[in-house]
Amino acid sequence: MSVGLANKNTSALKSWHLQTVVLNKHSNVSLTQSLLTQDQLDQAKLSKKEAVVGQTPVAAKGKNLTTVSSQFIGLNKDEYIFKNLPITRGRKPKKDTEIVVDDAFAQKGYHLGDKIKLNDTARKYKIVGWVHHNEINIAPVVYGSLKTWKKLRNVMPTVAASGIVSKRNFKPGIKGTKSYQQQTFIQKLPGYRDQNMTFMMMIVFLFVISLIIVAVFLYILTMQKLPNFAVLRAQGIPSKVLVSATIWQSLILVLSGVVLGLAGLALSAKFMPAAVPMSFSPAIWIPASLGMVIMGLIGAVLPAVKIARLNPLSGIGG
Amino acid sequence: MSVLTLTNVSKTYEHGEASVQALRNVNFSIDAGEVILIMGPSGAGKSTFLTTAGGLLSPTSGTVQVEGQEISRLSPKERDALRLHKIGFILQAYNLVPYLTISEQFKLVDHVKKEGNLSADDLQALLAQLDISNLVNKYPQELSGGQQQRAAIARALYADPAVIMADEPTASLDSERVAEVGQLFKDLAKQRQKAIILVTHDDRLTKYADHIYDMLDGRLTKRQ
Repeated sequence: MSVGLANKNTSALKSWHLQTVVLNKHSNVSLTQSLLTQDQLDQAKLSKKEAVVGQTPVAAKGKNLTTVSSQFIGLNKDEYIFKNLPITRGRKPKKDTEIVVDDAFAQKGYHLGDKIKLNDTARKYKIVGWVHHNEINIAPVVYGSLKTWKKLRNVMPTVAASGIVSKRNFKPGIKGTKSYQQQTFIQKLPGYRDQNMTFMMMIVFLFVISLIIVAVFLYILTMQKLPNFAVLRAQGIPSKVLVSATIWQSLILVLSGVVLGLAGLALSAKFMPAAVPMSFSPAIWIPASLGMVIMGLIGAVLPAVKIARLNPLSGIGG
Repeated sequence: MSVLTLTNVSKTYEHGEASVQALRNVNFSIDAGEVILIMGPSGAGKSTFLTTAGGLLSPTSGTVQVEGQEISRLSPKERDALRLHKIGFILQAYNLVPYLTISEQFKLVDHVKKEGNLSADDLQALLAQLDISNLVNKYPQELSGGQQQRAAIARALYADPAVIMADEPTASLDSERVAEVGQLFKDLAKQRQKAIILVTHDDRLTKYADHIYDMLDGRLTKRQ
């Protein structure tokens, strides 16, 4: 869920492969709050790796359909983001009245060809294409033209865009602007850092709780077997054999738990509604599984020390 | 030749300023094929004798030799190896691992002692002699007290040790079973040339012993 929500904040930005963002330096690192003038854009000397972007939140509503809070992204047709729009169905917009929307709209009953109003303006925009998982700030993206963005944002004629997105380390050094690296920009997304920190704390506590459970379980199991271990030690069985058996036992226990957990994960992935922001990426569950195994092994340390220090004499009655 | 020899062995336990002398100048030896009983009341020093003779405790003074090898000079690992290879313990309780079947108890010995264990044929013969051939796939808790005791004897003999040390081997057995176990130890000692030391309170075992020693206040005296 942590990764799913993080993706919902940044999936559109990641699809742009952005490395740097140039914003108005007084925008508090927010694309929505930033405004760049045409004069500033002219000084920027943009290459094929840059795209001018206008962003504004909009309430999208089709006739007899639910209102969808979304993020409008205005693009230039001759720049890389528009050219590389990952259309899954339909086509790219050809006119200013055409838009491409995230497939979250489809889940709310919208179809190709539907006409929608943005922020209750008189003009209607026709859905001509879909993109998959393109979201900013957990809101689905609506791609249209920069001209539309200007109308929606109601900006002065001198304002041309919100910012410049670049696939390279782009620092034009234009007066009144500042260039930000991808991580700085993403961390400043509203609520993104707080949300991630909260989940990180939950995950850390989950690992600590797992460690305690495995350690206590193995400790109790070991305490129950101590008289047997003592007799085995008295009979000459080396403590390393008993210690390694305990560690293997812990490993088997945790691996079984991880396999069951992964099976539960696969089942959840199959039946989880699309609206639930969960991501089942191997890049997450493989390290998490390894983390659990390591916690299990650490949990086996205390019982192993107990066995290693066991006095074989305790197995002999008085 | 003596399999196990204790020469002038004393063992003193220190408890702060107080000290308890559990063994006092003990001299003892046992040959292959002999059954020796160590008898005495509780607290007389029998368990200290058993643990010192078995290499689990170091004597305060004196020497303990198993087949000519002096135990006190061995490192803890070497003592483990000596107990595994040369001494078979039969203890009062927990002698068999409860979550392993009888046949798995032998596999555990194979796991830690790769060579010198009884062959499959020898094991079969031993199990037949102990009358537990049909019990090898059972867990200890599925066996009666007498069957458990015989399985423990088989487990101790499987590693083919020179000495068998049994702590109260007939505890909680009825007279009929005591006779069976006593005769069994006697037969095993003679047929397999094992030195068998039985630490016990049980007078019913005396007729199966070659020698009897009495332990009192840490002093070991051979009964005439």
